[in-house]
Amino acid sequence: MKATTRKDLIAWLTRLMEEYTVIAPAVVGDNVLYKRVASTDEIAFDFTRTDMSPKEHFFPDTQAILAITKGHGEVSLAEPPLEREQVVFGVRPCDARGLKVLDALLLEHQPADAYYAERREKTTLIGLACPEMWPGCFCTSLDSAPDEAGDMDAMLTEAGDSYLVQIVTKKGEDLAASLPLSKASQKRPQPKLSSESASVPSQEVWRQHFDDGVWARLADRCLSCRVCTYVCPTCRCFDVRDDVTQSGVEGSVIQRLRAWDSCLSEGYRRIAGGHDPRPTKMQRLRNRFYCKFHYCPQDFGPVACVGCGRCIVACPVSIDIAEMLGDVARLVDET
Amino acid sequence: MSESMETTIRDRARDLLEQEEVHCVIGYERGPRGDVRPAFIYQAEDAERLVWNQECGHNLVVYLHDRKLPLRKGEEPPRVAIVAKPCDVRALNVLLHEGQVARERVFVIGIACPGMWEDGEGSPLQARCRRCKERVPVLYDTLVGEPPEVEDVEEDWADLAELEAMTAEERLAFWVQEFQRCIRCYACRQACPGCYCYECVAEQVDPAWMGIAIDLPEVFFYHVMRAYHLAGRCVECDACERACPVGIPLSLLNRKIAKEVADLFGYRSGGDPQTPPPLATFKRDEDLPL
Repeated sequence: MKATTRKDLIAWLTRLMEEYTVIAPAVVGDNVLYKRVASTDEIAFDFTRTDMSPKEHFFPDTQAILAITKGHGEVSLAEPPLEREQVVFGVRPCDARGLKVLDALLLEHQPADAYYAERREKTTLIGLACPEMWPGCFCTSLDSAPDEAGDMDAMLTEAGDSYLVQIVTKKGEDLAASLPLSKASQKRPQPKLSSESASVPSQEVWRQHFDDGVWARLADRCLSCRVCTYVCPTCRCFDVRDDVTQSGVEGSVIQRLRAWDSCLSEGYRRIAGGHDPRPTKMQRLRNRFYCKFHYCPQDFGPVACVGCGRCIVACPVSIDIAEMLGDVARLVDET
Repeated sequence: MSESMETTIRDRARDLLEQEEVHCVIGYERGPRGDVRPAFIYQAEDAERLVWNQECGHNLVVYLHDRKLPLRKGEEPPRVAIVAKPCDVRALNVLLHEGQVARERVFVIGIACPGMWEDGEGSPLQARCRRCKERVPVLYDTLVGEPPEVEDVEEDWADLAELEAMTAEERLAFWVQEFQRCIRCYACRQACPGCYCYECVAEQVDPAWMGIAIDLPEVFFYHVMRAYHLAGRCVECDACERACPVGIPLSLLNRKIAKEVADLFGYRSGGDPQTPPPLATFKRDEDLPL
């Protein structure tokens, strides 16, 4: 195993900023968020779970996908310029797994999402292992671990004043070529695991319990806000709309935007004519859970939950996805 | 104190359900991770789940909007009981006045409230509770607990002083900085008992008043619009601020408007179910110093 010193790591990151957009956890007000940083001073090296996942750097909350200019009898269309290569530093294993899930949903399923594909292609993920599992974390129940390196390009593990380095992909190897490495003097420290666990019921169980009363009981508390879906590393619903940003006799500029949307909001499923096939909040909340644990595995392969615990922490009324899994598992015992 | 109140709440809930006076009791329970959260009790034997302590901060009145429709066609909407603190009852009064809830469909388990902790057991009271003088609800069907002794605090709006001392430009910069963190999750709106429009301006498609961008100026527009729609209606329960995942100090915005309403009209929202809020009233001879 190789290692690098904290000083060398910081110097390396500073050099990377010349060539790449570097995104790293940074303190913003009371939150820790993955932000584009201009200096290593902004990076929060000592952080737990960021409040938002890094998905916004692959699937931005708001993205202009087309600019339409009209005027003098002409119409021109312009796609936004291509993004610069980016490095996301300090990615936690659950979030890297979240990107793997998004890959399955957005890339491996045709047609691929071109905007996501471009950013994913141009990004190198430098992971930072979690020293422990925090309240709400249950990644170990979903085939990952606080020190899982498999979904990264390169993985760092803090060990005293140095960082142990695991190179995972060619991309990681290329990027780390300029990072001074020496032979590690110590073994990789093991993360502190929590006893938190949840088991994902089988596909058959989800099929059988769609109409169970458990969903209405859970949804009683739900406020139908969108917090859980927006903090989630794998939720990926969006809306597209054309916004007139300029209009006048000289012509007009119309921006085609895509922005996050959420299956939990009222009206999300409203269709032409006004019909809404999911009018109750029970149906909407149930859909979120079924999407994660039944529809995604069925249609795309992976379970669309990585056990990051963000929705558990962020929900204003303590709706708890791990508790829900337990409730569903209990239905099986009862029948 | 809170233990005996908890017992009383459970007893009341059990009686109400056993005698089929209500279809559901909305109160508080402790979740498996130890956090207090809203609870919905339908069976008398489940009343044991109810808790009462100084972490019961949620304003449960918001859930009455889910209970406006009958369970079966042709019936009255279900009657529910609700555990309500003095601030929550003020929100109920706003809804009663606005015809959103029928008084006879709600059984109010009023709480003589010692105030809510800011951050778990033993921590200081929340700012709104430190300011609160109204420790007994202005309306209830049964009252739980003894009115706690509180210092007679004068409303001085001291929390707004810093903001009011700013120039308009500084204030704009302050709010831009706060609002740009907004992820437009609408948790503030959804947690608010006063926000119940069938279709919110922020999501209306035809006409599309607001773009879909999760960015300035949309988020600014959204928050200012919401604050104005709550002028003279907001009861300062701070449910919006507590629900916000990115810590936007929405109470400052709502409080500033509450102060304007108090100064102009001598009105405090939710004091009773009869007095119409000033912004929903037209008086021919009114002369305001505007």
